[in-house]
Amino acid sequence: MIVLVDIQHVSKKYKDAPKAAVNDLSLTIKKGEVFGLLGPNGAGKTTFISMLCGLFQPGSGEIFINGRTHKTHSKECKQIIGVVPQEIALYPQLTAWENLMFLGHMYGLKGNSLKEKIKENLKILGLESNIHQKIISYSGGMKRRVNLIAGLLHNPQLLILDEPTVGVDVQSKQAIIEHLKKLNKESGMTILYTSHHLDEAENFCTHIAIIDEGKLITQGQPQELIRQNNCNSIEDVYLKMTGTKFRD
Amino acid sequence: MKLIYSIYKEYKVLTRDRAGLAITFIMPTVLILIMTLIQDSTFKSVNESSVPLLFVDRDHDSLSQTLEKYINSSKFFAITKKQLSNEEVKKEVAQGHFLIGIVIPENTSKKLRERSTARITKLLNSFSGDSTEIVFSDTSKIHLHLFFDPVTKQSFKTTIGSAIERIISQIEMQGMIVALNTKMKESFPEAKPSAPENAPLVNVTEEYASYNNSSIIPNAVQHNVPAWTLFAMFFICIPLAGNIIKERQDGSAFRLLTMPGSYFIVMLGKLLTYTVVSLVQFILMLCVGIFILPLLGMPQLNIGDNLPLLFLIALSAGLAATGFGLLVGTIATSHDQASLFGSVFIIILAAIGGVWVPTFVMPDIMKTISVISPLNWGLESFYAVFIRNSTIKEIWPEILKLWVFFIATLSGAYLYQKYKRLQ
Repeated sequence: MIVLVDIQHVSKKYKDAPKAAVNDLSLTIKKGEVFGLLGPNGAGKTTFISMLCGLFQPGSGEIFINGRTHKTHSKECKQIIGVVPQEIALYPQLTAWENLMFLGHMYGLKGNSLKEKIKENLKILGLESNIHQKIISYSGGMKRRVNLIAGLLHNPQLLILDEPTVGVDVQSKQAIIEHLKKLNKESGMTILYTSHHLDEAENFCTHIAIIDEGKLITQGQPQELIRQNNCNSIEDVYLKMTGTKFRD
Repeated sequence: MKLIYSIYKEYKVLTRDRAGLAITFIMPTVLILIMTLIQDSTFKSVNESSVPLLFVDRDHDSLSQTLEKYINSSKFFAITKKQLSNEEVKKEVAQGHFLIGIVIPENTSKKLRERSTARITKLLNSFSGDSTEIVFSDTSKIHLHLFFDPVTKQSFKTTIGSAIERIISQIEMQGMIVALNTKMKESFPEAKPSAPENAPLVNVTEEYASYNNSSIIPNAVQHNVPAWTLFAMFFICIPLAGNIIKERQDGSAFRLLTMPGSYFIVMLGKLLTYTVVSLVQFILMLCVGIFILPLLGMPQLNIGDNLPLLFLIALSAGLAATGFGLLVGTIATSHDQASLFGSVFIIILAAIGGVWVPTFVMPDIMKTISVISPLNWGLESFYAVFIRNSTIKEIWPEILKLWVFFIATLSGAYLYQKYKRLQ
């Protein structure tokens, strides 16, 4: 498989922080993979994703996206990536249609192709009847689904999902995961996924990496990790690797 | 296209935020109406205009007529003419109905002329050894009565006193010329002298130091409309900062930063949208000054005739305000922090800049300090156009300051954001 993201010895330490948020992290994400990045709070997931998205540069090391770095090819790297933040990154006073039209234009899309893309996604995720309703009136699950569509509009090669199913009902969760599976299967979209729903990660991801205190602890295919650690589930592996101590 | 959609999005967000719209448009309208009505009498006092004056003329001759004409021409006083006794005049002034009361007794001019003529006649007679005493028809003393309210400013008292003294001198002089003329005719009966000239040798011309011969007098409307419009324009920093903070908190900024070149476009969209909002505020507030305030008995706002320059000032102030909003939104970490910091800072800048109390009534130290406020730069520019009909040549330094402030705040916001991302 072709490598889409290549992380080489990346470290990042915030000013005045006692230790590095990401510490000599190296991993690869191959094209077509559903890559689960798991770790407790403060493990360095958000810092890693921020660097991957080009929000800031690593203190040391290199991040290659399709063989290019943000330093030299920021625009090309950003065009490859679609981001679905953990927060509902939508304008509550605007309708779903207005939000998606705005974000589509910001990705450089326009015209009928954008409109068709929005309609298609809204239909798949069961939102076509609420298209002209303000986001503020949506339920949590509906907001999550629109949040997901916003990251998909420009057909990214790499979709980064930061806890995409947090706080939603089972139906919405299933709709989101099924849609993502379909995108991964049909268009070969690479997905980087973070979540604290470990059973969901076990079923959804083709590859999982567990990080803690900025370091990579283990990685591999879910079943392989379970087998190697003599555990029954990814949750057991996770607890075995990261311990039961609170991470507040 | 990205920019147009970004502006459209800001427009939609703004127009659906009713509380924000209220702050943006209703607050300055209410402030202009209230503050203008409150400050109207104060401004009249500062401008020394329309001081109520009671004028009792029992003389009906040159002194009273000339004095009345002079008082009218000064434009400081609103004259009410009545026939009252001295006691009644005193009562009227004491009750605060008038600041000044003037009583010119009957035959004052006649007596003044007689006595002036007598003085010169006596003087000229003394040259020929004639020491005959002149007998007056009325030997009573000439008394003018002036009544002042205790709160009357010294400048008004001086004005009235000087006017009376000047007119008395004129009448005395005229009497002397008449007496001299008569005596000379007696000495040279064959001579045919020309008529004595009464025209003053020196003419004092008073003019407002304005351009294009304009002589608009500043009043409460001309202060309060631009002052509170600028206040509202700068107050836009609160909804703008809130908008930026909200985008940062709900992850939209994160998402926009991951899109190629989009965050800059979104910021530019905000800048342009909020600048247009500030221009709309400006136009609406001008309309309040032109159409609403006269309905409440206030003078109509005279905006002069240089509309392009007014637009340039409004645009410069709008950009300065928006730049400040972007800076506050970038630095503040929460909506509460931005609201508190933004509002307190704007109120301080407004107070320093002469929005609450105009700089021309401030003590010297505050006048010096006021020049640090961007609201003062805008206000002085508006004054210059409204009152002095200035051109760009006179006010470009103020406009330049607003542009420098805009560029400085914008650069500050950019550099701070870059610094934070590096941290």
